[in-house]
Amino acid sequence: MNGTGGPATDSASDHPLLELRNAFKAFGYVVALENASLSAYAGSVVALVGDNGAGKSTMVKVLAGVHGMDSGELFVDGLPVTIDKPSDAQGLGISTVFQDLALVEALDIAANVYLGRPIKRGLFVNRPAMLEGAADLLRDLRIRVPSVRVPVGSLSGGQRQGVAIARSVLQQGRVIVMDEPTAALGVRETRHVEEIIAELRNSGRAIVLVSHDLELVFRMADRIEVLRLGAVQGVRETKSTTREEIVGLITGLLNEPSVGGHEPVANQVPA
Amino acid sequence: MTRQTESSTISSAEAAGVDRATTGGLALGQRILVSPQFLLVATIVVFSAFVTLQSPQYLSVLNWTNILRNAVFIFIVGAFSTYVLVSAGLDLSVGSIFVVGALTVANLLFAGVPIWLSIAVAVAFGVVAGLVNGVLVNYVQIPSFIVTLGMLYVARGLATFVTGGRPIAPLPEAFNVIGQGDIFGVPLLIVYAVVVGVVAHVILEYTPFGLALRAIGGNREAARVAGIDVRRISVVVYMLSGASAAFAGMLMSARLGSGQPSVGTGFELQVISAVIIGGTSMFGGIGSVTGTALGALVLSILANGLILLRIDPTLQNVMVGCIIVAAVAIDQFRRSRMFRAFRR
Repeated sequence: MNGTGGPATDSASDHPLLELRNAFKAFGYVVALENASLSAYAGSVVALVGDNGAGKSTMVKVLAGVHGMDSGELFVDGLPVTIDKPSDAQGLGISTVFQDLALVEALDIAANVYLGRPIKRGLFVNRPAMLEGAADLLRDLRIRVPSVRVPVGSLSGGQRQGVAIARSVLQQGRVIVMDEPTAALGVRETRHVEEIIAELRNSGRAIVLVSHDLELVFRMADRIEVLRLGAVQGVRETKSTTREEIVGLITGLLNEPSVGGHEPVANQVPA
Repeated sequence: MTRQTESSTISSAEAAGVDRATTGGLALGQRILVSPQFLLVATIVVFSAFVTLQSPQYLSVLNWTNILRNAVFIFIVGAFSTYVLVSAGLDLSVGSIFVVGALTVANLLFAGVPIWLSIAVAVAFGVVAGLVNGVLVNYVQIPSFIVTLGMLYVARGLATFVTGGRPIAPLPEAFNVIGQGDIFGVPLLIVYAVVVGVVAHVILEYTPFGLALRAIGGNREAARVAGIDVRRISVVVYMLSGASAAFAGMLMSARLGSGQPSVGTGFELQVISAVIIGGTSMFGGIGSVTGTALGALVLSILANGLILLRIDPTLQNVMVGCIIVAAVAIDQFRRSRMFRAFRR
């Protein structure tokens, strides 16, 4: 899997598989990301938390190639890379499960799982292979659907989430970014998504988990990064932090000077 | 909240405890019943039976040859208007591009340009008009309704201005054969329609391009973040639409043996009617070339049947209007049964 480096176990803990450094992103006069950084390690879950408008979704979209950065550096396997469009991110092995799931309701499950990268046979789409592949994948992930031929529009919220996750798995993503994967789900479905996340982590993938749900975050994450007003407010090992501390960082009551002296929203717009 | 309103078919499928993803589909009978084409075929059969009782010559080979031949123009353009609607666009300019094709080929032939070159130039004009439409819609982000409405005026205005708005005749016999000849008794026009229809159908249903344009129509943003080059594909769709309209216009000149400035007026509405009646959704993502073939056939059968029934032809419009609205009502109903979060 991890072709470039040395033994996977060593490099997993030492070097981040994905590293974002000093990202700036402004929409007009609104600064969404201001000197924000993120590291994701193979076989590990990093949670990205923060209040509304903290920049979580912007960071997700930067990593997915939906938005370009104004400035900042991105490294995959320690090598500098650029992501200008969604296919760049996919090519680098970064798959994203968006909060709105980005599914096409009118298409069936198989077509959605292979959206943008259908299996081809000559000039044509290999439908049988896509049906088989999608069915196998959903079976592996134990996502229960009536048939991979049914349109996604007819599925429940949990099933849709499953289809969206299946797609990111299929892209052979080494890094899987999930934006609020359980926001629309019930208790049972949330448990199932947690199982899937754990399986993906155990298979050596790096997971970036964006969530408002601190219960979920404390159950799943190895590290927690708190964003506030577009900047990193603090990064903690889950083992050695408390909910109170994380909440304090989210609300800005706690400040972490080492991150570079966060100041109230800057008027300095990056050039 | 939508859970309570979900359709009974879906909840029963779920309640059946299917715990493994399968590749199975609906049973054949179910599939036929929910298919948008089923009602159309039933309508055609019932209407045909009724007309036959009143006027036996309706079923004659000659009459059906006529019905099919009249459907050809709407269908050839409609096949690609289906692409436009499935990709959640709209092309109102096909009637004007149709007349551009008709007059371009006629004028070039009249000026002594070789037949193949005249046809190529006429179709190329259609491609260029489609390119302009596609670029304005996708890169300047003007709504397709406005862009193609503008093109409707511009293309017809230019065609009339440049050619002087006079009918052009006669055209070379070797050219007229293209629209008037037949092969083994089958009019060539019908042969073209079958070839174009099969190719358009195969591209839409079985190629990555067809799948991508369906995804674009179903959820443009999802298609984009999945790495599909949304704008490029949409531009190609408008180019195909323009090319098919100019091609059909060229065929019309061949069939008439002259270039008529009056052809194609209101043609875009007939085309869109056929596409909509055929079950293609105005909201993108859903639609088929086979449905459009049936839609074009319904329009042609109605026109023919009502004449045989000696019903005032102006009443035909009343029926067409009712059928269009009914077709969309059925589409809405189908979507509401099919999709849980039904918002349109």
